[in-house]
Amino acid sequence: MIAFFRFALPGLAGLTLIYVLIGVYARSLARERLEKAWEDPKTGAASCLTREEFIAQGMRAYKHSLRRKLLVLVYIVPVGVVAILVYVMNYR
Amino acid sequence: MKYAKWTFIGLLAVILIGFLHYTLPQHDIVRIVGTENRRIDFGENSIFWASPAGGAAQMGNRDVFFIQTQRANGKPMVYRNEDTGWGWPPYFKLDSSNLQTMAQDLVSNKADPLWVSMTHYGWRNEWLSIYPNAVSVKVVSGPDARIIPWFNIVFLILLLVAVLFVRRLWLRFRHRSIDPMFNDGPSDDGAHRRGKRFWGRMGGKNRK
Repeated sequence: MIAFFRFALPGLAGLTLIYVLIGVYARSLARERLEKAWEDPKTGAASCLTREEFIAQGMRAYKHSLRRKLLVLVYIVPVGVVAILVYVMNYR
Repeated sequence: MKYAKWTFIGLLAVILIGFLHYTLPQHDIVRIVGTENRRIDFGENSIFWASPAGGAAQMGNRDVFFIQTQRANGKPMVYRNEDTGWGWPPYFKLDSSNLQTMAQDLVSNKADPLWVSMTHYGWRNEWLSIYPNAVSVKVVSGPDARIIPWFNIVFLILLLVAVLFVRRLWLRFRHRSIDPMFNDGPSDDGAHRRGKRFWGRMGGKNRK
């Protein structure tokens, strides 16, 4: 059991690091999308907002978007892979 | 300086390839000739043996399962059969006793050979007295059965994708967070374009 925790706890710490890094990256991508959208006369100038307001509003929307929530997969996929590996290696 | 650089890069590449070659699974087509259980005194080669089970005392020696085989090319190969448990490498192998039983069940002689595919990782080295660790065993049609290493194909592709992703992550961070600090400007607006200009000045060409 101790061996399992010695694997699981550093593993979770590693996944958290990856989660944070990908989270920062994804937020940066969302911001760039908004910057580009503001420069587009159809979406940006038409919104009657300043550039800062436009981006802030978009980032608030991003916070609750499905795209951001999918980041949880960073935790789910590796845990699932390990579970499948344990099954395939030992019980099949 | 050029030689030093390339020696260093070459050394890194050798270490990386060696590490992957040791850790990733490989398949041998073999005929099992016997199994045994031997007491091993670990010395300087202990890094090539499994670490003791969690909670067990750190002893200098331990009983280890072995599987003796003949390869299709007539050369012998001996595998150890140890649990990796939750340690490194991450095979999560907990069923060494079961594997030993299966291997013993598949023992065959020269006159009536039964060929199996032995999945393993690790190296056999006579000087260091180290053995590859058997992971699983499967009966195959014959000594020239073809095994496609799907796991390695997928794993290496994913590894490449991960490396490229980390590179992109870093380039983006530099581009959007570090570069703007070294450019003068009234605000953060247009950091993207200024970054482009910065690299244009530095590299003499317009980078994306």
